[in-house]
Amino acid sequence: MQTQELRQVIPAAETNTGDQAFLKLKGITKRYGVDYMAVDDLDIDVPKGKLLGLLGPSGCGKTTTLRMIAGLLDITRSKITIDGDDISHKPPHKRDIGLVFQNYALFPHMTVAQNVAFGLEMRGVGRVEARDRVEEALEMVRLPGYGERKPKEMSGGQQQRVALARALVIRPRLLLLDEPLSNLDAKLRDDMRIEIREIQQRLQITTVFVTHDQVEALTMCDLVGVMHKGKLAQLGTPEDIYERPADLFVADFVGRTNILDGEIEALDRVRIGASVYPCNTRGLTSGKAKAAIRPHRISLTPSRDRSLVSMATNAAHGKVTRVTYIGDVVQYDIDIGGNTLTTEVHTASAGHSFQSGEKLLCEWKPQDMQVFAQGSGN
Amino acid sequence: MAAITSSVPFAEAPARRKTFPFLLIALLLPMAIINFVAFVLPVIRLGMISFIESRSGGVLTNNYTLENYADFFTDSFSIELVSNSLILGFGVTLITLCCAYPIALFLHRVSPKWRNMLFVITVSPLLVSSVVRTYGWMVILGDQGVFNGILMSSGIIDSPLRLTNNTLGVFIGMVEVLIPYMALSLIAGFGRLENVYEEAAASLGANSWTRFRRVILPLTAPGIALGCLLCFVLSISSFITPKLLGGGRVFLLATEIYDQAVIQLEWPTAAAISVIVLIIFGLALAVYSRVVKRFD
Repeated sequence: MQTQELRQVIPAAETNTGDQAFLKLKGITKRYGVDYMAVDDLDIDVPKGKLLGLLGPSGCGKTTTLRMIAGLLDITRSKITIDGDDISHKPPHKRDIGLVFQNYALFPHMTVAQNVAFGLEMRGVGRVEARDRVEEALEMVRLPGYGERKPKEMSGGQQQRVALARALVIRPRLLLLDEPLSNLDAKLRDDMRIEIREIQQRLQITTVFVTHDQVEALTMCDLVGVMHKGKLAQLGTPEDIYERPADLFVADFVGRTNILDGEIEALDRVRIGASVYPCNTRGLTSGKAKAAIRPHRISLTPSRDRSLVSMATNAAHGKVTRVTYIGDVVQYDIDIGGNTLTTEVHTASAGHSFQSGEKLLCEWKPQDMQVFAQGSGN
Repeated sequence: MAAITSSVPFAEAPARRKTFPFLLIALLLPMAIINFVAFVLPVIRLGMISFIESRSGGVLTNNYTLENYADFFTDSFSIELVSNSLILGFGVTLITLCCAYPIALFLHRVSPKWRNMLFVITVSPLLVSSVVRTYGWMVILGDQGVFNGILMSSGIIDSPLRLTNNTLGVFIGMVEVLIPYMALSLIAGFGRLENVYEEAAASLGANSWTRFRRVILPLTAPGIALGCLLCFVLSISSFITPKLLGGGRVFLLATEIYDQAVIQLEWPTAAAISVIVLIIFGLALAVYSRVVKRFD
């Protein structure tokens, strides 16, 4: 009798302490028809309390992944676990997951309070406790006293917050957000971004956030998974994704980037046009390549002799072909012997302002130039 | 001042918009006239006839009386007529709703590629007159009909099931006649139902029965109310199908109106019953508008 009890305790303790990942996606796959892989062999672990962003263009499989986690789509293959509990084949109503939809999906025939109370009612929470928790949840999303309104009497941002309250009031193990900000206007989007992140961190709730907006992914998430054609192109911190993109797709999709055609001459040497530049070829020693440089990592100075520039930096002479004033930055398109580099200079820090046609020297650090084998990530 | 404003061409435009809407009136007028002459006046006349005293043989006098109504409400047969009609109305409406609801829900969810074709198939019985369809049911359900023939030749039953010339036959025929109307009304009222609401309910822990009860049903309530109103009114006022499939043994308000007006030539009695039917319709309409308001 005693040993039996002991045995039951031990594995439970192991799953709680020995396993860092709270949400585990283990090779999940969604296939449509015979050979269309909407999501192809995705492996992601999310530690408890962290916010994972799934970032990618439309059709990359990020929403499909989210719907599989929520149980709204069957998975073709493999396994999803939350805290060691295999939910791969549980119906959605038994998964205990909070879900916020892109268009909010508030029940139009119920008041705000009834909407928020719905999940509590399903869990058999008593009337008095439910009322308190609904009010508490509405306070959390800064909508106290809005309970008696109908969803259609509220603005998009307010509806979104009600949807968040409705998903969180049930204290789910996991929160899923499907493009929650894409229907809001720009100003509201910035506010909601901060608000969602604050609530997520306060509640320490493990969250998966689907977005096509790289700013949202970089600013809100602890971890970002960049998806491309159903596959995970890169998984890492926002800094990893931005500074050390795994392939050309990630480099191009996340942030603005100049992509130049070139050829790898030797390890960490790439030829672009007539010049050879030191760079990071990530082990490659030959072959056609694409080089990526972020516009704001290029510094501009009036044209001067190349020999005056430190050998540690890359430099190219060029001519301004276009000046675009954006407000916080000025964009200069610069022709460097056949290739055009787009560069950005902060208007506050700009020592000079340059004119179209002016001759310039562009400089950048070798480590800011990422080189990818032709065709990588495409 | 007037001269100055009128010389500015754009200043006049807003004023012109407020002039009498001749075009609108002109477009509405023909229907309004037809409606007045062919509906409002006859209904008024019907109401008046219902108060006229008649002598035996249906001869109308010039005296007005409440006797037609008094006779109706004191006669146990007419109470039976009302209850028969209400049972038929509610019963047929409920059964039609149960048959048509899954069809409508399916049509609402099916991919747009198939929807139009399936929709046409659903309402295609309307292309055939309900008289023809009723005769069809007589052929199928009669004592020597297709259905009984199959059951008897396969030895399941010895004597034919009584499926016509009774209330059961009327129910079967009426339900089939009304299903397209019900399906049309339901689909028209399903506009607010979106899949995402069911998904949201599921994610909050609602199983499929709860999702149906708490989300699908309330969101489709406007369609249900519209379909029920239409079917209730149509089944109470229907006359041909009960007459043919009831074989003269099913007594309803509609069939009684026909008998009184055409066979007995008792127009005042027929008119009084008609007014009572109209009052039932009015009540149904009141219930409908309350339901719709509640679920809006």
